[in-house]
Amino acid sequence: MHDVRFTGEDILARQLELAEANYRRLREKHVRAISVLGAIGSGKTTLVEQAIDRLQGRGLRVAAIAADSAGDDDHRRFIARGAKSVNVNTQDDCHLDAHRVDHALDELPLEDVDVLFIENVGNLICPADFPLGADAEVVVISVTEGDDMVRKHPKIFAQTDFVVVNKVDLAAAVGVDPKRIVGDYSAVNPHGKLFLTSLRRGEGLDELLNALGLGCTNTQW
Amino acid sequence: MHEYTVVDELIGALVPRLCEHPGRVRAVVVRKGELRILSDHALVSAFEILARGTRLEGAELVVETVATVVSCAACGYRGSTGRLVEEGDHFSIPVLSCPRCGSEVRVDAGRELYVDHVTLSDDSPADG
Ligand SMILES: Nc1nc2c(ncn2[C@@H]2O[C@H](COP(=O)(O)OP(=O)(O)OP(=O)(O)O)[C@@H](O)[C@H]2O)c(=O)[nH]1
Ligand SMILES: [Mg+2]
Ligand SMILES: [Zn+2]
Ligand SMILES: [Zn+2]
Ligand SMILES: [Zn+2]
Repeated sequence: MHDVRFTGEDILARQLELAEANYRRLREKHVRAISVLGAIGSGKTTLVEQAIDRLQGRGLRVAAIAADSAGDDDHRRFIARGAKSVNVNTQDDCHLDAHRVDHALDELPLEDVDVLFIENVGNLICPADFPLGADAEVVVISVTEGDDMVRKHPKIFAQTDFVVVNKVDLAAAVGVDPKRIVGDYSAVNPHGKLFLTSLRRGEGLDELLNALGLGCTNTQW
Repeated sequence: MHEYTVVDELIGALVPRLCEHPGRVRAVVVRKGELRILSDHALVSAFEILARGTRLEGAELVVETVATVVSCAACGYRGSTGRLVEEGDHFSIPVLSCPRCGSEVRVDAGRELYVDHVTLSDDSPADG
């Protein structure tokens, strides 16, 4: 028996390199990219739609990449808001990866984009291991998934710096106390930022945009 | 189930690197940072399936866990983190914050995922 030792190159090194290449490419074109992920139906598309309205209203040029396993519903919703959008079907893959984002970027006029939203496939667990090259990642969950989401997936939330807990308008109806989610999150991630939103009522989005450096008070815009 | 993607990358990268190392592959030892969202069980079963028909068929995939190490720019601390232990000890996870001063930290270890070594026996695969 003998051992062959390796130098410790990451198994997903290709993914990491591609993500870094995307990051550099977006930087060069002065595009601010926000990756949005989270469970199915939590409100990711609604969040991006409303952010598009808000940012376009301030004269920013917004684009989106809509990833779904099949179909182009989200993509159409972004187009309807006046954003440029690219649809990506991941088919059998449960997550978007940096290579697919690279191809999607080819289809966008990056010179004419200020802010890019990348909506991942509805899936909380997978995308965490697949960086895309965005400036920030936002995980969207909703109160309808119960008040134990953070406890069920502590490792994910421990590494997610922006969390949106959406549909707080339904909290009483589904018997969920959002404060419990807030407490769990600050225990696993003392430096993270959590936003309670009701996108249906248009509540909480401005605070998130501010924290992402996309608020109306952020002077770089 | 992105464990399949991971194992697919692993096999694709590893097989060519073993060309100049004859012998039967007994074990592939992977080191996985504890912050990775990957199930050991799913990695092992993905390996069993995807290794079929390759040089790695029949080898055992061993997953070793690498503990989290952080460093703090504010106070100079470097080492392990505090941990959050869930009731009933179902899990214990590292809290990414400086255990000495409470500042934000940089993660130095805990996110890696690499093949550490492969154990080969000196018989040829055909020997049964
Ligand atoms: N009550 C309530 N419903 C909401 C809220 N935000 C979004 N919804 C509804 O939740 C449903 C799903 O919203 P989407 O934005 O499509 O969710 P998604 O996360 O993009 O879904 P997938 O892309 O399919 O994973 C829609 O019917 C929205 O109208 C909210 O704050 N409150
Ligand atoms: Mg959607
Ligand atoms: Zn996946
Ligand atoms: Zn390609
Ligand atoms: Zn410190």
